[in-house]
Amino acid sequence: MARTHWTISLIAGLGLAAGVSPLASVSAAAAGGGEGGTLTISDAQFLWSCGFSPYNPQSNFLSVGVIYETLMFVNTLQNAKVTPWLATSYAWSDDNKVLTFTIRKGVKWTDGQPLTAADIVFTFNLLKKFPALDLNTVWAALSSVAQKGDDQVVMTFNAPSVPYFYYIADQVGIVPEHIWANVKNPVTYADAKPVGTGPFTIERCTPQNVSYVKNPDYWQPGLPKISRIEYPAFTTNPPANAILSTGGAQWGGQFIPNLKAEYLSKSRDNHYWFPPVVNVAIFINQTNPLLKDVAVRRAMAFAIDRGRVAEIGEYGYEPAANQAGIVTPTFASWLDAAELKAAGYTYDPKKAIAILEQAGYKRGPDGVFASPSGKRLSFTIINQSAYTDWVAALQVVSQELAQAGIELHVQNLAGDDYSAKLYNGNFDLAYAYESGGPTPYYEFRQWLYGPASAPIGKSAATNWERYSNKETDALIERYAQTTSASEQQEIMNKLENVLLQDVPLIPVTEQVDWDEYSTGEFVGWPTPADPYAQPFGGYTFPDWEIVVLRLQKK
Amino acid sequence: MRYVLRRLGFFVATLWTAMTVNFFLPRLMPGNPAIAMMARFHGKLNGQALRAMEVAFGVNAQESLLAQYFAYLRNSAVGHFGTSLTFFPQPVSGVVLGALPWTLGLVGVTTVIAFFLGTLIGMVGAWERGGWFDSILPPVFIVLSAFPYFWIALVSILIFSISLGWLPLGFAYTNGARISLSWPFIGDVLVHAILPGVTIVITSIGGWILTMRNNMIMTLAEDYVRMARAKGLSPLRIMIDYAGRNAILPNLSGFGMSLGFVVSGAILVEYVFSYPGVGYMMLQAVLNEDYPLMQTLFLIITLAVLLAILAVDAITVLLDPRTAAAS
Repeated sequence: MARTHWTISLIAGLGLAAGVSPLASVSAAAAGGGEGGTLTISDAQFLWSCGFSPYNPQSNFLSVGVIYETLMFVNTLQNAKVTPWLATSYAWSDDNKVLTFTIRKGVKWTDGQPLTAADIVFTFNLLKKFPALDLNTVWAALSSVAQKGDDQVVMTFNAPSVPYFYYIADQVGIVPEHIWANVKNPVTYADAKPVGTGPFTIERCTPQNVSYVKNPDYWQPGLPKISRIEYPAFTTNPPANAILSTGGAQWGGQFIPNLKAEYLSKSRDNHYWFPPVVNVAIFINQTNPLLKDVAVRRAMAFAIDRGRVAEIGEYGYEPAANQAGIVTPTFASWLDAAELKAAGYTYDPKKAIAILEQAGYKRGPDGVFASPSGKRLSFTIINQSAYTDWVAALQVVSQELAQAGIELHVQNLAGDDYSAKLYNGNFDLAYAYESGGPTPYYEFRQWLYGPASAPIGKSAATNWERYSNKETDALIERYAQTTSASEQQEIMNKLENVLLQDVPLIPVTEQVDWDEYSTGEFVGWPTPADPYAQPFGGYTFPDWEIVVLRLQKK
Repeated sequence: MRYVLRRLGFFVATLWTAMTVNFFLPRLMPGNPAIAMMARFHGKLNGQALRAMEVAFGVNAQESLLAQYFAYLRNSAVGHFGTSLTFFPQPVSGVVLGALPWTLGLVGVTTVIAFFLGTLIGMVGAWERGGWFDSILPPVFIVLSAFPYFWIALVSILIFSISLGWLPLGFAYTNGARISLSWPFIGDVLVHAILPGVTIVITSIGGWILTMRNNMIMTLAEDYVRMARAKGLSPLRIMIDYAGRNAILPNLSGFGMSLGFVVSGAILVEYVFSYPGVGYMMLQAVLNEDYPLMQTLFLIITLAVLLAILAVDAITVLLDPRTAAAS
């Protein structure tokens, strides 16, 4: 089975928060341009359940944004740039503990009722009442949500929680109180006929296909320009690739192994853009007695030729990562290039050997180093067997580590077996990536924040390598208390330094958004020159709403 | 009567064993449904969603395995199959009923066609053995059935859908079509069924031909066939009523078994052609550790196979009374 990557939809931002002009244009609805047309999206690996609950992780990407809109849109690819959406503005209190949204007037649900501040208050209190719906655990930080005046919603936090802005404003689809208040059990509510504020509604759904049709009364005048979206459920990649390359579908988000021959050569209108968003890294179990020694971890970081892994394992479509953990070029402005250069982590197997020898390790007759107490540096790395590119990448890694006297066994496992081991910490090394966010901070918090981890044998939601350092935790907490860009940058530099000095994990390649699109029928796609939203067709929400609003007939 | 009772006893014992295995085997898999869901959406879901899903799926509910087992037996008996986790929050019964007609239609019809066609070819081939018919058709189909199914399917997609563009490359009907009992929709479904249907038939027909042809050659050497010829009966009547009727018996039990297995779908067929049937659903259920859906599908398969065997036993007794007498 070829692999599809579900990268990152959960991205976005704080950072440059401060003030957003209420008059900022909501989306670049170019004047003129052709209307109509049916957009077909090609990619999926399962049959549809035809439920559209925005709080069901299996179907929320079908509805959040395009049907159930969010308060704001936070763009990962433009340094967490905020665009007002259902809320026209927001403001943090001076102590960053109270967040106030002003709700847009004149927005209607598709059943004709107006959107009110009460709907937003209801939505968030629904997540409080039913923790199974709270996919981003926003109520871990919130203490209350209440209406103020006619059109304002006030969110009060237990502690300063600036990064939560992204989860609250960009990831929670707002639902109508007049419908959801009557739902007996929202956890098991399928929501087959969703009523939202978004530019599209569900026309019909079968397990094989979802048909969206445009909402004629959408609150942004003149939008959307395309009139229908078809989202078929492919069970396997080859037919999805075939439909995409022959123009039967115009937008895809799948990995196509031989992109040039299989896709680009079929039409001059076929294009791709693979922007990187998070790191694929080797997570190092911090409780392993041999891997506890930072010398071993540093030696491994020197012994891996990231460029070669990217070239062979990922066909060059995924760039090599850096040890500072900042995804470039997406988040290049956050990178402390001087520190990275000083730390020197370029491919250097001799240096790796020198580090180990200096730390008292001795090479045995089989060429593998052993610790002073005689334990061989032989490790097992767990990997997803379905990701054929990762299997190839780890073959390269194990050859390279062998040259530096470290033995690596690659264990390619089925998805659930792999995940169970990963979350429970039953591994020496693990090849994996986190979901990230609109600034590098989110990925660092997921990697390093101690309290979010769990003891070995208990499932940890994040921080799978069980890294624990009080100073790092304090840095991560301090970041959450500030909206100052310079202070955030200063903290991020220190966190990058943790990665460089302590090597709790080794970033190897950068996970990208797979995005193939055809300009034969529709134009207005996100490109490197205009990265107005994440392009991963049909999965990254609410970004794909932003994209379909920009698209128009050629 | 004793014969029937003994068959029924066997039926109940087998059913219970199969249901017990259905229950315990999936639970030996590592992980739990929430972790399987995180694996499916790896990187797409915030790690915190794990906690939300554990609550929604009731993963940490403290109930002993034995208590769950008896609840499962009780619920199965009264037809309560619970909520699917892969297609959460749809009820299992709805999910299965939505997929079953597609599988029954495609795999059921093609199994019947393959059986009748294969039996006919085997019978005629044996009757005229050595002739041109016998030298061409049986060998061709037997060679075809030796190919891996997915290879034949992918090659035919490549030729008839991608290169020639004659037939759709997958799905059960045109995307966006409204499901209805109208002629245009039925025609659409039939067009979509040609490629998967024909590939199933040409890859499965070889087995029927081979057994039928061999049995037929044996029966043609029997004394009663020679007797029939001597009586001057028409060749058609000898072929069908005398030789064919006896030669078909072993094929018939095989046919019953495969009818039972129709409800398990054809995983490869549905996978390659993105056909929204039960086989693909079963694959998803296993991958996602969807215990309720898995149990229901396995229960249906077990029941169908056992009922088919029961029915074949009955038909065999009618066609060949010796079976009952001897037992």
